[in-house]
Amino acid sequence: MSSISCHNLCKTFRQGDEVITALDRVCLDIDEGEFVCLSGPSGSGKTTLLNAVGALDSPDSGAITVGGRRVDNLSRSAQADMRLHHIGFVFQAFNLIPVLSARENVEFVMQVQGVPAARRRQVADQVLAEVGMAGLERRRPAQLSGGQQQRVAVARAIASKPALVLADEPTANLDSSSAAQLMDLFVTLNAERGITFVISTHDARVMAYAGRLIKMRDGMIVADEPQQPRAMGA
Amino acid sequence: MNVTWLLAWRNLWRHRRRTWLTVGAMVFCNVLLVFLISLQLGSYQMMIDGTLSAFTGHIQIQHRGYLQDQRMRQSVPDAALLAQRLREVPVVDSAAARAEAFALASSEERSFGVLLTAVQPHYEPRVSTLPDMISQGRYLRASDAHEIVLGSLLARNLKVGPGDEVTFLGSARDGSFAAAVATVVGIVHSGMDDVDRNLAQVPLGWFQRVFAMGDRGHAIVLRVHHLDQVDAAVAALRAALPAGESLVVLDWETLQPGLRQAITSDMASAWFMYAVLIVLVAFSVLNTQLMSVLERTREFGVMLALGMRPSRLARLVAMETGLLGLLGLVLGIALGALLTAYLGHVGFTYPGMDDMAARFHLPARMYPRVSLLSLCWGPATVFVGAMLAALYPALRLLRLRPVAAMRAA
Amino acid sequence: MRRVVPVLAILAWRNLWRNYRRTLIMLLAIGLGVWAMIFMAAVMRGMTDEMVRNGLHTLPGEVQIHQRDYRRDPSVVNSMAPPSGALLQALQQPPVVAWAARVRVPAVLASERGSRGVTLLGVDPQAEAPLGSLPQELVAGRFLSGADDRGLVLGASLARRLETGLGKRVVIMSQDPHNNVADRGARVVGIYRARLSGTEERFLYAGRSVVQDMLGMGGAVSEVAASAGDYRHVAAWYPRIAAAAGADLEVVSWTELDPFLDTMLGVQDGFSLVFMVVIFLALSFGLINTLVMAVFERIREIGLMQALGMRPRLILAQILLESLFLLVLGLAAGNLLALLSIVPLESGIDISGVALGMEMMGMGNTLYPVLALRDMLMSTGVVVTLGLLASLLPAWRAARLDPVRALNTT
Repeated sequence: MSSISCHNLCKTFRQGDEVITALDRVCLDIDEGEFVCLSGPSGSGKTTLLNAVGALDSPDSGAITVGGRRVDNLSRSAQADMRLHHIGFVFQAFNLIPVLSARENVEFVMQVQGVPAARRRQVADQVLAEVGMAGLERRRPAQLSGGQQQRVAVARAIASKPALVLADEPTANLDSSSAAQLMDLFVTLNAERGITFVISTHDARVMAYAGRLIKMRDGMIVADEPQQPRAMGA
Repeated sequence: MNVTWLLAWRNLWRHRRRTWLTVGAMVFCNVLLVFLISLQLGSYQMMIDGTLSAFTGHIQIQHRGYLQDQRMRQSVPDAALLAQRLREVPVVDSAAARAEAFALASSEERSFGVLLTAVQPHYEPRVSTLPDMISQGRYLRASDAHEIVLGSLLARNLKVGPGDEVTFLGSARDGSFAAAVATVVGIVHSGMDDVDRNLAQVPLGWFQRVFAMGDRGHAIVLRVHHLDQVDAAVAALRAALPAGESLVVLDWETLQPGLRQAITSDMASAWFMYAVLIVLVAFSVLNTQLMSVLERTREFGVMLALGMRPSRLARLVAMETGLLGLLGLVLGIALGALLTAYLGHVGFTYPGMDDMAARFHLPARMYPRVSLLSLCWGPATVFVGAMLAALYPALRLLRLRPVAAMRAA
Repeated sequence: MRRVVPVLAILAWRNLWRNYRRTLIMLLAIGLGVWAMIFMAAVMRGMTDEMVRNGLHTLPGEVQIHQRDYRRDPSVVNSMAPPSGALLQALQQPPVVAWAARVRVPAVLASERGSRGVTLLGVDPQAEAPLGSLPQELVAGRFLSGADDRGLVLGASLARRLETGLGKRVVIMSQDPHNNVADRGARVVGIYRARLSGTEERFLYAGRSVVQDMLGMGGAVSEVAASAGDYRHVAAWYPRIAAAAGADLEVVSWTELDPFLDTMLGVQDGFSLVFMVVIFLALSFGLINTLVMAVFERIREIGLMQALGMRPRLILAQILLESLFLLVLGLAAGNLLALLSIVPLESGIDISGVALGMEMMGMGNTLYPVLALRDMLMSTGVVVTLGLLASLLPAWRAARLDPVRALNTT
């Protein structure tokens, strides 16, 4: 079954007097369990596409379904619910809520979902261990390194067992070894849990991990081909 | 414009909303203060005028001790002549002699104890507004002998009207029995229950005969042209009084000590409220300026690194606060003046004010009066409060070190 | 929603202390404002209570019964028979705790040195005592021993003005029912002091039977006063007395006897409320400012929370909760401050410096502030209600933030 399906997405922004076309008749299907990289120069429309798929933003026209649900024409609250229950996010920076500890950050989404406290705690500790953060649960974001912060963000993204995780330039603020560790984590989660990953990046090392590489320019998909992903840790 | 002032002005608008909210707090407080102080000063003036012009006058000359004890024998000799002489004193607007005695007043059907006031019918209307408040009949005339005017409630209680006779029994100055009959010629209705229930005025000459007073009275009531002249008039009158008669000159604050004290206590409670408002607004300014200083720590660090002295930065913050305060001051005074002028024109009232007002001889509708004092007093205090509040954030800058500041998050 | 509240509360609480300086300044401001609200209300309540107490003391009894025409024409002619039958029965039942019948007529009191108009009260001391209508403080001599005591008790200031004193003879003159002047010599057996000098000059006490004899009015009286203990609740029981009294008698409560006092009681709460709202308005600018800044500093975080699936409503709730914490802490501080500052003052603040001014309003020379739960609740109500209303604007703006833009804010 197709996990994501986009049809004829268009989106324009105004910047001063200029009209910028961020998405230009984009059509895209991504299957369940795929590991996809969106690449392209900045301004090519990667983030806009990711935001549209993630129900963060609505396209001007076109249709998007995620896991069989239309997400392009939802109200703000319905969009929020969609993100809450079905999609995990990892952003470039400022991923964590500064006043909450690592564990509380992971628990946060589940708490908004209404998961009971005991279960929340158990899942949080489990996913934090899974991303290699065991023992650091009580630290606040300011007490964690950039790589550690991103791993907490990943833990939070997968805690509520979404079928889809969207990551927007997740390695942009990381040194190369932290970036590699993060990508290894994504690959592992993709393999073991079957989570669909869509990652935007312009880092060639990140693209190497993908099973499918989509290139964008000026709001259009200019290339979309499968590739042999690089082996873990290589 | 000086570049520093320009910088201060532009800095103010980096957070438009915050600046407007802070200015808003000041404007709110200033408008309120302008209005309330105008109202207060206006009503005090009315309270004093209302109370004094009704009966008391600005100044009285009495025998020493009469004010406390009101005894018949504590009298002023040659009262009418003295009043005549005092009218010549330059600051004095008018003067009239009075005498008083308690008596049992009896009509056909009723008897009441009353305080008889003897007046000079010709001069009394110049020191008191009561003679103008005749609702039936007429006021006393200089030619009257045994005529009397009564307050409306007293007349009702005695069941008499113009033309009826009232008999008086009392004690004369020499302790003998005083009795006489007077004919009602007029009824005074002032709307003040206390006055209407007690007023009984007779001609001085008749009174002096009935109560064996000779040519004596109990008080010379004086008015000056303006309230401000009272002190000068008191001094002039002291000098003009015949020596050795143990007469005293009493100003209105002595005659009506309650009036000044009522004003003082009202001032005190009003200033409690004003002080609270001003402190709250000062907190608002403190918060805004502290935030604005804290969020610019890095920027200030750079300026220090460029060689600016900390005191210059402190001055910049003080200038920003000054501009902020000035904005609040100008808008506050303008809006306050508009509101007050409007209400001063149409007047206003609030529930329960009738009863309150009647107690203090005030009209039931209030008309605040705008004056330079009432306009500037409150807002100027708010401005000073705001400047004081900005001291802490400004002084913090003096301790700022460039490297630490530039590293600040 | 219910499950979310704890995490919202944690977020709100921790966010509150991120900028502790700002929060502390705001707390100080709210605390001071709340203190001022309660303090002013307590002083006002104290003044009103005092005015009513003094007022009731000069017209003793929360309910008075007169002959129908007496109040318009307070003459001996308009007397009434002493209570009997149904009225007597009603007066002897709860909630009435005390009642007394008295003669109350205008009179002239003359000494050898002068005379004054007074109100002559012919009383039965045993019946009046539980009403609290007798002078509290005697400076010389004794009070009347009974309704047939032939002595007189007068106020200190009246005695001074008439140059009379204990043991001296004076003459009372008043009108009898046929409008003949009745007079009677009597000896001063006691001199009292009252809180207001106006009272001292006006009221003269004599034995009821003696006055009735002097005026030839038989057993008739001028008024019957009754009390049920608490003046504030008079409306609940006085209609029953009115029904028992019948059509020839007029039954009025103190609220009708002195409308000024009644108005004062009525407007007191109104004034307190206006005062509280004004103080709050001055506070509200700072409150909104604090929240606007708090939201401004956290735009990205709010964007993140929205991206993670927090509904706008929850964002709104979080900001409101933050505001509520601030308000409640401020209220606690203000109430505590009020408690600490008012309780020591409840034994009285000396205001004799302005006593004569206060007497114009019916006050004595001591002010007793009253810390009432009602005022504390009222200030809490005003602060919480208006505070949350004022917070709605910044909270709503936070909830309306566009997540994509908010995340990209630097």
